[in-house]
Amino acid sequence: MIENSQPKPKTIQPVAPQTKHVSLVTRPRKILRGVLAGLAIITIYSLATLNNGNLVFADAFKSLGVNLNAMFLHPGVGQDTFGQLLRALVTSVSLAMLTTLLGAVIAFFIAVGAARNLAPSWLATTIKAVMAFIRAIPTILWVLIYSVVMGLGASAAVVGLTFHSVAYLVKAYSESIEETSQDTIEALKASGVGFWPIVFQAILPSIVPALLSWTFIRFEINFANAVAVGAAAGADDIGYFLFMAGSFYFNFHEVGLIVYLLLAVAIVLELVSMKLRGHYLKHN
Amino acid sequence: MLKVIQLDKTYGSNKHSLKNVNFTAQPGEVTAIIGPSGAGKTTILRSINQLIRDDSGQILLDGQDIRQANKAGLRKIRHHIGMIFQNYNLISPLTALENVLHGRLGAKSTVAGMLGLYSNEEKTEALELLDEVGLKEYAYQRCDQLSGGQQQRVGIARALMQHPKMILCDEPIASLDPKSTKIVMDILRRLAKDKQLIILINLHQVDIAMEYADHVVGINSGAIVFEGATKTVDDDVLQKIYRQTDDAKTVVSANEN
Ligand SMILES: Nc1ncnc2c1ncn2[C@@H]1O[C@H](COP(=O)(O)OP(=O)(O)O)[C@@H](O)[C@H]1O
Ligand SMILES: [Mg+2]
Repeated sequence: MIENSQPKPKTIQPVAPQTKHVSLVTRPRKILRGVLAGLAIITIYSLATLNNGNLVFADAFKSLGVNLNAMFLHPGVGQDTFGQLLRALVTSVSLAMLTTLLGAVIAFFIAVGAARNLAPSWLATTIKAVMAFIRAIPTILWVLIYSVVMGLGASAAVVGLTFHSVAYLVKAYSESIEETSQDTIEALKASGVGFWPIVFQAILPSIVPALLSWTFIRFEINFANAVAVGAAAGADDIGYFLFMAGSFYFNFHEVGLIVYLLLAVAIVLELVSMKLRGHYLKHN
Repeated sequence: MLKVIQLDKTYGSNKHSLKNVNFTAQPGEVTAIIGPSGAGKTTILRSINQLIRDDSGQILLDGQDIRQANKAGLRKIRHHIGMIFQNYNLISPLTALENVLHGRLGAKSTVAGMLGLYSNEEKTEALELLDEVGLKEYAYQRCDQLSGGQQQRVGIARALMQHPKMILCDEPIASLDPKSTKIVMDILRRLAKDKQLIILINLHQVDIAMEYADHVVGINSGAIVFEGATKTVDDDVLQKIYRQTDDAKTVVSANEN
């Protein structure tokens, strides 16, 4: 450990011994400072030369205050009934749940092929590369890509969300699988147990806490995604109502109500996930 | 009977780890393989159930050459060879009972194995085996809550669940205290006698081998330098087995203390 950390500074400052100058900061940190300074200059420059379209900042802030007041201090229903909003909220939660579950099942099987301790390394590398590519493109884009093929609507939303979930969960799951001890796997192999029974009887029970935790994080992400995707794909979920209330009817009371509903769901999800994690941590 | 004939194993290009290894192990007997660390004990044991592939030779279990078996055949043979390890290698979040039942997975179809479907008879048998190794009241305890000695006994019960002809033990007591060592070794000796099993144990503790083994195989630098009944092992034999290599020195002095 100590031996490893010693030579590193040398490689960063190879010519240091010749000059008497002693620097307090390392090269990477100098670069970081340079970048930050550059960004600050760009920011100031753009603010100064910003075309504000005759916007009077004082007025703008005042009306922002009025709108925020309408949204968050006076939430209420607009052209939609509370029941409609609740139903839309349930649609969003179901969308998130469906895509997470579908994604989890598919991802588990793919993750087995992507885990270096189970699969041949060419296969693991290939799968990991493909999944990294899929992950690099945001969920919402996948939904739009699929809606070109399948038409705008709920199915494009489901497929697109699932698609990105799979890529995300394959990474998380395969890394969990790679952490299971080779020795316990070998013990079953030595008694003539085949590949899939080992996966389900030895590996799966060892990584259940990690899998649950990752799946739940993905569920939270998918809920947020479902709201955004609903607005874009017209999937009749809460995101669509939010979009209509905000950009079409300009009913800021309803926008506020929807935001509070989303917040409530987020809090419930957080509480459940804390409970779940607490439960599994206690047992491990 | 286990008969190993002219077994040779080379790791990589020129590391000759086993050189013309020949020995036999009889049912009903505890056979100990002793020798300095790095001598090749683990390599022999893992060649026997083909966890590592050897280069040449024959490994006959009741006359059948394990090395000639195809993939399905090897799985079937492995199912009748139990193995226990220095680090127990149990699935630690599962209960003792579940780990013992794993001994039956090798006999199941893929689907039944995946789902872990066990018959009532199998569950009863697993409980009986836990009783046999003195762990009846720990059946529903998670394995990571058991002591090392208890985990090793779960490992033995798991091996017994395979209805084995032979149990291979790679340094089964290296991580155990003297009391657990005695319990585990007593069980292994009893199993050899009562169930007429071939018990093959890698040991680096000479005194334990002397106390429990019926038959001793001595190995040094990948070659068998002694094979015979335990009572014929004398100082000359031990000198030969622990011949002064650097590795051997440390092992011998460790055992003298
Ligand atoms: N996977 C491996 N690759 C290369 N050499 C190995 C490997 N495993 C063991 N060896 C070598 O084979 C020899 C025998 O090792 P091993 O069977 O583990 O000895 P023992 O169990 O008696 O301590 C040692 O010299 C060891 O370095
Ligand atoms: Mg060894």
